[in-house]
Amino acid sequence: MADQDLDAMLARMGGARMSRRGFLRAAGLGSAAAALAACTGSGGASTSPSTAPSVAPSTGGSSEAPSTAPTPAPSYTIEKALYMYNWAQYISPKNIDAFKAQFGVTKFQYDVYDNNDALLAKLQAGATGYDICSPTAEFVPGMVEQGFVQKLDKTRIPNLANIDPVFKGLWWDPNDEYLIPKDYGTTGILYRSSMLPSIPASWKDFYQLVKGPASGKTVFVDSMGDVFVFPLKMLGFSANSVDHDELEQARTVLLDVAPHLLALDSNTYGTKMAKGEASLALGWTGVLEQQMSKVKDKGYVVPSDGTIFWLDTWVLLTGAPDPNASYAWLNFIQDPAVQAEESNYNLYATPNDKARPLVDPAVLNNTAIFPTEEQVKALEGSKDTSGNTQRLDIYEEFKQNIGKA
Amino acid sequence: MATVAPGQTAQSRPKRRRGPGLLTAILVLPAALWYALLLVAPLVIVFIFSFGIRAKNGGYAPAFVLDNYARAVQKSEPFILSLEMAIFGTIGCLLVALPLAYFIATRARRRKGLLILLLVIPFWTSFLIRTYAWLLILGPDLGLAGLLQGLTGADKIQILGTPIAVMIGLIYGYLPLMIFPLYVTLERMDRTLVEASKDLGAGRWATFRQVTLPVALPGLVTGSILVFIPMMGEYVIPQILGYGRTYLMGNALVTDFLEARNWPQGSARAVFLIVVMIVTIAGYVWFVNRGRTTRDVSVL
Repeated sequence: MADQDLDAMLARMGGARMSRRGFLRAAGLGSAAAALAACTGSGGASTSPSTAPSVAPSTGGSSEAPSTAPTPAPSYTIEKALYMYNWAQYISPKNIDAFKAQFGVTKFQYDVYDNNDALLAKLQAGATGYDICSPTAEFVPGMVEQGFVQKLDKTRIPNLANIDPVFKGLWWDPNDEYLIPKDYGTTGILYRSSMLPSIPASWKDFYQLVKGPASGKTVFVDSMGDVFVFPLKMLGFSANSVDHDELEQARTVLLDVAPHLLALDSNTYGTKMAKGEASLALGWTGVLEQQMSKVKDKGYVVPSDGTIFWLDTWVLLTGAPDPNASYAWLNFIQDPAVQAEESNYNLYATPNDKARPLVDPAVLNNTAIFPTEEQVKALEGSKDTSGNTQRLDIYEEFKQNIGKA
Repeated sequence: MATVAPGQTAQSRPKRRRGPGLLTAILVLPAALWYALLLVAPLVIVFIFSFGIRAKNGGYAPAFVLDNYARAVQKSEPFILSLEMAIFGTIGCLLVALPLAYFIATRARRRKGLLILLLVIPFWTSFLIRTYAWLLILGPDLGLAGLLQGLTGADKIQILGTPIAVMIGLIYGYLPLMIFPLYVTLERMDRTLVEASKDLGAGRWATFRQVTLPVALPGLVTGSILVFIPMMGEYVIPQILGYGRTYLMGNALVTDFLEARNWPQGSARAVFLIVVMIVTIAGYVWFVNRGRTTRDVSVL
């Protein structure tokens, strides 16, 4: 049974928005799914105009009038339409209304996909007619390779200056030519404070807890890239290390904790924590809302010795029918006030650090959503290291030793 | 493999006058297409992939190397563990299914239909849901672990996450595939054979061993194979009930394809699994069928 089915089903059972991270795990099946979808999927936005979200044009009554003063007067003729292909409920309707009012766009089409593979499949099937979409960063190099994405004219997006440099120049787009950071989240430590003698702040603390008070009550997500973050960052190396000696040291740590783990589980680790079977986990924030909504003593820590993040992005598609409206949107959305409203709405952290002070304090101070500025500095973009055989060998050895005394 | 007893061959079937006609071709076509597109073609693709190399960003790139097979053989721990689990699982299924099938076929009388219905009902629910249900049944709160804790006074009894939980899940999940073939053969069994055996002085055990079991053998072989093959590739049960702690072949394949995104390596492992299975099952069928034509009979 495919893992995606499992994820999808659990998400439906939870009745909640699916954690974006869950999809990344299924990335490997991409081409197969894409090939399949290519046979069945047809018809882009241009053929299904009836599915447009019927948002009435704003009459200026928007309570959150964005401060778009610095936006230069457009010297291009803005098209009347914008076709966006994106994750569900990922853009604030208020911002869409404000954009339409400001730029005279009358038709704002918002079609949704629910994983990166679906997006790829639609593009591979020749879905023309979309202007912009939001793939997760590690999918962008492949999209560039296949010619789906065009180079950005950065002079037309002055608000790019608002984006924290931590999120720029990463492996998926080393020269920042193709993508604009949109939202991000981290890999970190989940805990239940009432079940632990102390709250972990770093991977070092985590290590001690796993071998001690949380022995037999710790869950790791079953994801190679994320599991390696813990030993490598704790030892002060890059989370993306492929250095032989560094990986050997990581191996020692992983084999040291393996006997103390309760489970390797990416789907229901939140449930295991909610039931009290587990007190500690290495994982993502999605389950905090989806599976642990009733747990009072839950917590999430972005480890002080550093971790990795996932990043969703904006890209401009090749042959976008409305390039000027697209550029207007890409610049508009990076306005600090607009971006703050985005975070307030979709509850994901924005890489736009000028927007931080404008975000609702309740959202900003929730470290499960927004890492602190200190923590952001310790973030490292994840690389695709899945081709490294040493990592794979260590990971398999680790898996075979889980729970073995 | 389903051997037909001599007395049951259909002598009364009218003789075919012409060769296979258009109608036959049309009727066979869907099955043939299904077989070719969904079984043969994917197998060929997997076979070709298994000699390739991993593309730069994961997936498959054409090449001709044998490294993948070298690794598949070298990293055989998950395979061996799968083999152990599948063998014990098959034996477990057999031990549960044989008495049950025997009872339904020979003793249940009017309740036969009801019992068979009860066996089928779980199939109305998704396999995944049923597997999740075992989390509760075996769990520490309301389940078996909690019950045992209460009875023995032990601090903590952990069933979930152990190979025992995986084994229970495997036996539960595949049991019907063992029961039905056994039931069918036992149901068709000529009861007078048993009476004859008893008349000739054989006891219950000797009758079972020398009459019932040989009659049930085709069903037993079919059932064992139906159960053994999916157990070898099982992924969901060790993941859910085994808490990812029992690392079987199916889990190793997932690691190859999804984590390493190394399709050639996963393909080689899959081909390795298929080949070993074919050899094992061929050997098994040969073993149980050897010398079936004549059999020495004793009153023991």
